[in-house]
Amino acid sequence: MSDGAPIFELAELSVSRPGAVLPELDRFSLLLGAGESVVVLGEAGSGKEALMRVLGGFTEKSDAISGTIRLGNGEPRPAARRLRPAIRIAYLPSPLAQPFAPHATVLSQLSRVVARKLGSPQESAQEELRLALERMDGAPPLSSLNKKPAELNPVTMAWGLLAAVSAQTPDLVLADHPLADLGPTSVRMLLGVLAAEQKRLGFALVYATGGLQPATRLGGRVVVIREGRVVEEGDAVRLASGHAHAYTRTLYRALPQLSLDRPKARGAPRGQPLLQVHGLDLLADPKRGTRQGLTFELRRGASLALIGEEGSGRRALVRAVLGLDRAPVGRVVFDAVDLNILSQTMTSRLRRRIAFITGADDALDPRMTLWDTVDEPLRAHLDLSGDLIAGYREGALKRVGLASHDGRRTVATLSAFDRRRLQVARAIVGAPLLVVVDEPLRGLDAFAQTIMREVLTDFRTHQEPAFLVVTSDFTVAQARADEAMVFKDRKVVERGAIVDMLRAPKEKVTRRLIEAVTLPDLSRAPASV
Amino acid sequence: MSAAFDSPPHAAPMLRVILRVVGWCGLGLIAGAVALSDFLAHAPAGAANAGSILDAPSPAHPFGTDLLGRDLLSETLHGLSVTVGHALLGTIVAIVLGGLFGAVAARLPRPVGLALRGVMDVFAAIPALLLGILVIGLTARLYAPLAAGLAAAPLAFVRAFDRVDTKSTHAEYARATGISAATLLRRDLTYEFRDTLATVTARALAAVTIILSTVSFLGFGATPPARDLGLMIAAAKTSYLHAWWTAAAPAFALLILILCARLAAGLDESERP
Amino acid sequence: MLNYAARQTGRLALGLLGAVVVAAVISAIAVPRAPGLAPFLAAVGTRLVDFARLDFGTSAISGLSAMDELGRRIPATLALVLTGTGVALIVGAPLGLVFGAGPLRRSAAPLMQIVAAAPVFCAGLALAYGAVHLLHWPVSINAPVRSAAPIFSSNARDLQLAALPMLMVGLAGAAAVQLALRRAAADSARGSYRAGLRRMGLSVIEIEWVYAAPLVIAGLLASAGEITLALLSAAVVAEWVFHRPGAADLFVKSVALQDWNMAALILFVFAALTFVVDFLGRLGAHALANEGKPS
Repeated sequence: MSDGAPIFELAELSVSRPGAVLPELDRFSLLLGAGESVVVLGEAGSGKEALMRVLGGFTEKSDAISGTIRLGNGEPRPAARRLRPAIRIAYLPSPLAQPFAPHATVLSQLSRVVARKLGSPQESAQEELRLALERMDGAPPLSSLNKKPAELNPVTMAWGLLAAVSAQTPDLVLADHPLADLGPTSVRMLLGVLAAEQKRLGFALVYATGGLQPATRLGGRVVVIREGRVVEEGDAVRLASGHAHAYTRTLYRALPQLSLDRPKARGAPRGQPLLQVHGLDLLADPKRGTRQGLTFELRRGASLALIGEEGSGRRALVRAVLGLDRAPVGRVVFDAVDLNILSQTMTSRLRRRIAFITGADDALDPRMTLWDTVDEPLRAHLDLSGDLIAGYREGALKRVGLASHDGRRTVATLSAFDRRRLQVARAIVGAPLLVVVDEPLRGLDAFAQTIMREVLTDFRTHQEPAFLVVTSDFTVAQARADEAMVFKDRKVVERGAIVDMLRAPKEKVTRRLIEAVTLPDLSRAPASV
Repeated sequence: MSAAFDSPPHAAPMLRVILRVVGWCGLGLIAGAVALSDFLAHAPAGAANAGSILDAPSPAHPFGTDLLGRDLLSETLHGLSVTVGHALLGTIVAIVLGGLFGAVAARLPRPVGLALRGVMDVFAAIPALLLGILVIGLTARLYAPLAAGLAAAPLAFVRAFDRVDTKSTHAEYARATGISAATLLRRDLTYEFRDTLATVTARALAAVTIILSTVSFLGFGATPPARDLGLMIAAAKTSYLHAWWTAAAPAFALLILILCARLAAGLDESERP
Repeated sequence: MLNYAARQTGRLALGLLGAVVVAAVISAIAVPRAPGLAPFLAAVGTRLVDFARLDFGTSAISGLSAMDELGRRIPATLALVLTGTGVALIVGAPLGLVFGAGPLRRSAAPLMQIVAAAPVFCAGLALAYGAVHLLHWPVSINAPVRSAAPIFSSNARDLQLAALPMLMVGLAGAAAVQLALRRAAADSARGSYRAGLRRMGLSVIEIEWVYAAPLVIAGLLASAGEITLALLSAAVVAEWVFHRPGAADLFVKSVALQDWNMAALILFVFAALTFVVDFLGRLGAHALANEGKPS
């Protein structure tokens, strides 16, 4: 499969940590040729991380490692021994893994990294970085990196990390979930640049990911691993085709396609309007004169998607609508009550009929137990007996698949996936009229995404609350809603039925967002959108 | 993934657990010794001329005797029980007025909470020892345990106040779904106290014991005939340079008490004393 | 930075104001007045006005103006605290750095607990015992020093007499310094940037030196207020144990003899000192690492 000389060869590699029952990697073998790329696809804890550690040479002392590794033209040697590699290896982390020290600028840290790798002074390393950024299509200027990590948005940071990798002119790039959760448009653009840089510099690429975007976009070889073993290895197209291992098929179910068919009617529109927004203006500057505000209506059981990039104003709208931030202009009527004229107490009473399911991992109190988290809305708002509460709780936990978990575990000890499902359970018991679903799949690997989608669909069908879906992903929007508003710079630029947008997007933003989730070269993918 | 880098689980926190258990066991033993002090002691508290003056440790008087011929083992046991009793009282004051009040104040309307914290900040800038001395000076030596608790309270208040994260995402989501401030406060109290009550108590016990014994040592604490360890050490000042055992026994008891309390509080460096 | 400095200055001003009020309340006790709350509040008001005119009343013990009395006593205390700070940094910093990072960290924690469990006065008495029996130095435990021996003196006996309280304050400070350092090191060890930068190719030493060290030093600076509290507390005990006539010793005597003017003034000075050091520490920490504790 490799046309060039091998860049590395792993044979029978096993990695385990002290005290762990299962090894992280179990007799794993992989050969990669120069200039080739391989996508390592798996859930969290599948062993991708251990593979990165061994390849990058940053294993921990406590790791028990067996098997051999051969780098470049060298001899195979025990993987446990850490030697100076014969090839240049560059590491590409995710900006969301907070790889930078908080009190120094990203630029200075990247320059230091490049300088160390090239053995050059920092000034010339910085120059290399500047050149690398200038080469890349759509990259921000070097000066934008001259900020501390907290002041920089993750996408800009990802550009910087990519430029630093490119400036190192490496033989092998270890991409460790570098673009996870950056939003489809950015992911698409950065993946394109990564592929272009690979072509130009001819480095080999190992791309570890839990999501399917990279696997389908980069193409080439995909290795599916689970519990430290290779489930399947093959061409991206074949794996997506449905003629694959059952586990792979489950993963690929997380890759819903955009559909151009009119949706089946999701039941009749249920009469009463639930949420009415009149003339709401997010660009709150009364001095600049009134602008035409935003007006829309959400009926009971209906759903609406708010689509846009990070910072485009979707969340600001939700906050204003729910009265968390008071919008200076406009009127919001929830359940036939004007929120602007209500007292704090009354608003908070109304808010009981609202639930949130969000991609923020800290949306639940980490100190609470699993049971308490589900019980709290019931205890706080209703006067129910303990048995009744336990019954509701059991039902909700069963629906999201958490019933077998020990209910006395604290939220802090749960995985991101479990916490996400727990949010749904908490929402279910509250019998909400309106559910705000905010990037519900963020940070989840493909397997968890599949389950989460099913859980949400089940919630919707059973309780029929209205959904307000905040997302940057048209596929997520289409799965949950029929109508959408597209946001840019805190303004709505396009609104209407999602299918109409997919067929004929009017705005450039809409088109870019749709293109970002339209996947190429897959047999199941629609021919063109 | 958005989580930070994977790193191996920290090498067994066993040592920490063992030391905590040792600390609590030590406190348990001390409590036992205090409860049984009247049985364990050779002589009633303050009984002069139980032996001859300044006897070195011997089988008859394992810890020796002091300037008045009192048996130091008995005196140390009695002193320990006075110190422990007073320190527990002070600890309760410190926890209620400091920790509990601080946690509640953080959930009060922001201006009120911040005003309270400002006031406590002023008291927290005064060394707790001086604050304790001042309170005793203003009231009476009888109130030394309360004063020690009061002296430790401002710092405890400030820390408990700062521990409450009013801007946390989960609290915001809870408010957005109609969970009231009272429920959030109940959460703080339930979970913080479940997780930290033992630690906080042990830590406060150590702090209050130090303040209390120092205050007594300086002559502001326990009043004879109730002699606590600080007062015993102060009385031994004149004799200990040539009869080391007069100070050694009470100092050792004090040291063990504080050490056990500190071990029981755990070894987390990130926690403030 | 400016924003932070402004906020901290405001905090400092409020703190000092609060300390003045507390001092006024204490010193109002000494004012002869009718019983009841209103006359007392009036007395507090009078004292505040007096304070504004820099009139801090007279000492009930010596009959001197409280300001003059403090002026006579405070240099000894400040010298004690300053030399103690030196000892604290010299002893505490290496301890904190050695035990805060590296392989010794875990085994050091229990050891430190044992050492730090000793109350200051016990440590002082133990030091004195050692000095008498091992070094054969004179100590001033049971006899007041007649001539207020200056802390910096050419006389060997004076130096020996001064060394013990200095050491005692220093050790108490060292305990606080090493704790602050270990805490800062533990905080900084949690940062994911170590792993991130290491994987991207920086050496461990480079990461520690360039990125971690400023955070640890900032952590120490941010704890400056706490360390000051430890030093001042130790100074009180040291002056009392070793009969050194300083301001801290004067405070104890003033409270014992109900000289509230004097006690109020000393308390104010100590609180102000803590506030100012805390303020400077926070600014330094912020400048170094953008990491002041939340106010």
